[in-house]
Amino acid sequence: MVTSITDDMFTGEAIADPYSYYGKIRDEDPVYWNELYELWVITKHDDLVWMTRNHELFSSEFWARDKRPPYPAIDESDMGLYAYMREFFMDWFIQHDRPVHTDQRKVVHKWFNPKSMEMWRPMVQQVIRDMLDEADQNGKMDVMKDFATPLPLFIIAQMMGMPYQDRQFIRSMAEKLLFIGRGEADRMQPLVDGIKELQDYLAPMVDMHMDLPTDEDNLLSVLTSGGKNGVLTRDEVIADAILLLLAGHETTINLICNGTLAFMQHPEQWQLLKEDTLDSPNAVVRATEECLRYDPPVKSIQRIASEDVELGGKLLKEGDRIRWFISSANRDPDKHPEPDTFDITRWPNTHVAFGSGIHHCLGATLARLEAQEAFKSLAERYDKITLETDEFEYQPSVTFRSLKNLPVSLENAAP
Amino acid sequence: MAKLRISVDHDICVGNRMCETFASKVFVINENGQSEVADPEGDTEENILEAAENCPVSAITVVDEETGETLFP
Ligand code: HEM
Ligand code: SF4
Repeated sequence: MVTSITDDMFTGEAIADPYSYYGKIRDEDPVYWNELYELWVITKHDDLVWMTRNHELFSSEFWARDKRPPYPAIDESDMGLYAYMREFFMDWFIQHDRPVHTDQRKVVHKWFNPKSMEMWRPMVQQVIRDMLDEADQNGKMDVMKDFATPLPLFIIAQMMGMPYQDRQFIRSMAEKLLFIGRGEADRMQPLVDGIKELQDYLAPMVDMHMDLPTDEDNLLSVLTSGGKNGVLTRDEVIADAILLLLAGHETTINLICNGTLAFMQHPEQWQLLKEDTLDSPNAVVRATEECLRYDPPVKSIQRIASEDVELGGKLLKEGDRIRWFISSANRDPDKHPEPDTFDITRWPNTHVAFGSGIHHCLGATLARLEAQEAFKSLAERYDKITLETDEFEYQPSVTFRSLKNLPVSLENAAP
Repeated sequence: MAKLRISVDHDICVGNRMCETFASKVFVINENGQSEVADPEGDTEENILEAAENCPVSAITVVDEETGETLFP
């Protein structure tokens, strides 16, 4: 039992401060049955890792297997849209278990390995330079809109060979797809609109690649090779292309933005980063890991129990819905000493911001690279970054920890 | 073929099991869901290096036992 807590995960308090809300559950009832959503809430680091490593017990086929009504509830008239959405998400390779998952992930796995990703570093550095040069003209920026969003969006769109001028369209569709993590009863319409528009946008590109020899320098072409050799259907190629576009920027946006905010709220850590970055390339690597731990971009992940499993004295029944919370696992005092302290020298940093096990984030190396370069550039370029607001409003999502805006003013370091 | 010394850093390994899919006799998954080196001679050098390269967190080190040269990373 958790004393005096509401099961509604979308209240102002739970959205503003997930660390208190899920932390309380973790400390009082770590394997918690949320009655309102008919959902197991998993909040401890060790339980989360154990579950990811026992993927046979906890299926990723959430949308194919969930038999309970949507949570939070949706408008009765939207059940058709709900069915369409499920069909679409079922095609994501992330939504499969072994052995299908392995075959499908391997279509694009090599593209994202650490060695391949390193080749993108110069482009990331160039894009950052251009963006900050522009911000310097104004002496200020909205970190979210002018920096954290355009950088990863530019890179993933570039990788997939999307025309430069389409980025705004991709972003606005991504914003519609983000309704997946929200709670409004009428959220299905924008969600399905976004899915359909992206499907229509990508289908001709996928069909074109189907007829061309595979171009190893184009991620969409590499993905489409899975369609040529029968590992993926055409619909699956299109769905996975949407997955890559979406996961390829939405998450990293929040890492850069949440990390920058953490530095602004902990000036001594910012100072430390500025000093240490000059001495050691490791400093920014460790700092980025601490940003991932302290304010993780992805708050929670869903699974469905494949069989009856006992965990923490509770019986999770076959078919039960599960959501595990990275936000509380990363602040678990049994794993991280002084978990609520932002300490960029923390090492080793065993956070689970990218999940763990067979579904460990495909794009982790890319996200790390982009964020490391972003934090390093900010630290090298600016003497002082000042927050121009003291109100921080987050998207009402149970999946993403996402600020709406982050206005700052900038003071350049002496050249 | 050169004799290889292969190791997996368990502070880093996230149990992604990709190594297993490239060289399944060399890398096996232990009770914690992490990779262990079962048989360093269980596959070709090429496949072993491919496994190391495709570990998403670079947890695998491969050293040429005779020359001491690090082949990965
Ligand atoms: C800071 C940035 C990021 C965070 C915090 C993050 C987080 C995560 C998490 C927690 C998972 C596990 C999902 C699960 O267990 O079901 C995951 C999987 C995944 N991520 Fe990321 N991600 C980030 C960046 C990226 C990027 C840049 C890409 C692509 C370019 C990407 C693509 C994927 C894909 C395709 C999967 C599914 C992997 C699988 O099922 O095998 N992510 N990510
Ligand atoms: S690929 Fe890397 S992270 Fe995955 S099990 Fe093997 S060593 Fe561990």
